[in-house]
Amino acid sequence: MSEKKPDIAKWVDEAALAIGLPIAPQYRANVILNVERSLAIAAPLLALDLDDDLNPAPVYRP
Amino acid sequence: MNDPLSKAATAAEIARAVSTGKVKAAAVVEAALARIQAAEPTVNAFTDVVAQRARKRAAEIDAGQHIGPLSGVPFAVKNLFDIEGLPTCAGSKINVDGPKATRDGALVRKLEAAGAILLGGLNMGEYAYDFTGENAHYGPSRNPHDPTRMTGGSSGGSGAAVAAGEVPLSLGSDTNGSIRVPSSLCGLFGLKPTYGRLSRAGSFPFVDAFDHLGPLARSTEDLALSFDAMQGWDPDDSACTDRIAEPTLTRLKEGIGGLRIAIAGDYFAKGGEPEAFEAVATVARALGATKTVVLPQAAAARAAAYVITAMEGGQLHLERLKSRPQDFDGDTRERLMAGNLLPGAWYVKAQRFRRHYRAAVLKIFEEVDIVLAPATPRSAPKLGQTMMTIDGVELPVRASLGLFTQPISFIGLPVVAVPTRKPGAMPIGVQVIAKPFDEQAALRVSAHLEKERVCVSAPA
Repeated sequence: MSEKKPDIAKWVDEAALAIGLPIAPQYRANVILNVERSLAIAAPLLALDLDDDLNPAPVYRP
Repeated sequence: MNDPLSKAATAAEIARAVSTGKVKAAAVVEAALARIQAAEPTVNAFTDVVAQRARKRAAEIDAGQHIGPLSGVPFAVKNLFDIEGLPTCAGSKINVDGPKATRDGALVRKLEAAGAILLGGLNMGEYAYDFTGENAHYGPSRNPHDPTRMTGGSSGGSGAAVAAGEVPLSLGSDTNGSIRVPSSLCGLFGLKPTYGRLSRAGSFPFVDAFDHLGPLARSTEDLALSFDAMQGWDPDDSACTDRIAEPTLTRLKEGIGGLRIAIAGDYFAKGGEPEAFEAVATVARALGATKTVVLPQAAAARAAAYVITAMEGGQLHLERLKSRPQDFDGDTRERLMAGNLLPGAWYVKAQRFRRHYRAAVLKIFEEVDIVLAPATPRSAPKLGQTMMTIDGVELPVRASLGLFTQPISFIGLPVVAVPTRKPGAMPIGVQVIAKPFDEQAALRVSAHLEKERVCVSAPA
């Protein structure tokens, strides 16, 4: 993780625009809060180094 | 032996009484409907009661049809299971406008084929993105042991209906803990089977990678009885295993001899209230378990489960978030919106980590058969409570009630949540975790704890 922290409000606005999700003003602050929380909760995962041979394990049977 | 018409009667007791002609299925159904009517103003477990359908089914059973191991047993299902003729609302207001189900969900059909009788659909957290059992549209399900407190969720009605004695058996779903959390908070036995063991066909999804369905009951025997009736491959669920059914009921009497039982340390030994660890210690003592094992990187597993849930769940609802944001429960809407905005790299990393964590945990299961861990970090919080202090740290209730369940469902291990309760206190559960497709081992441990009266479930 870089030392510099992302601007979550900008992230929310731009990512929402990119996927065409309108976020009404009354919901915006809580969406930002939830992305902040997600960043904090995801931290132990993001801090890991994974071996190249680890492939995802979703269930898919052709 | 309980009176089969009483609220304390178990599914097995009812089935025995009906199949031997001691009581009519019609009388069992009427008694259950009366209990539902009496308890609903307090517990708010049911969203739909299908009385007419249940009476018809009971009459057919009394006429000798649909005879099986669950003959005459009333049950109810979280309202994300399809019930023919009803919209599958999954705790939402939006889905009520959707199509009515044309067929019952696969597990409803299997239980009814075994003689059970569906009484209705149960309240739940909206779209299953919940650990509280609260719901802005339908009101919260309330804990029968103290109606000012949460049932836990998202299978809140499934917990409340059984703990109140309305029905002896319910079905719930568990993506990150939604069977185990209400089992813990409502003082029930709950089975989250191995991922892929039971068919999810005819149920509203949340996170395909982690969605499991399973029973909640007041006895281990009832879990085994219903689980055995629901096993079997189903081509309508792509994750459903084609292993042959492995009956568990007949194995309960084998006891715990030969099972190597350990306690989960590290992550699972902190971050909860003392009552959570006392419950584990009580159960461990009764089982003679002293060895501690560490499930490595459990915190990262919880993080990865969170990321996959937020992103898969968020994406599932993206079009509804665009078109009808005002019709969502405020407690799920912004979390689902946020899930759509997280980087794809997180999701792929979480899935890759899952493979690593699975291998590491399965290595531990080469040396032990059962791992014990707390089910929830505390007993039932008050309704409406949004923050809780655990171990001196202020945490959001919603995200934190599943701290100990998420790293286990993340890799699909089977778990029986067993209840403990100290006099004058609210119940709290313990997870009895087994290796994949070894439900029988966890159920045998649960049966032993019940026989020794260490884990007992009684209706409120």
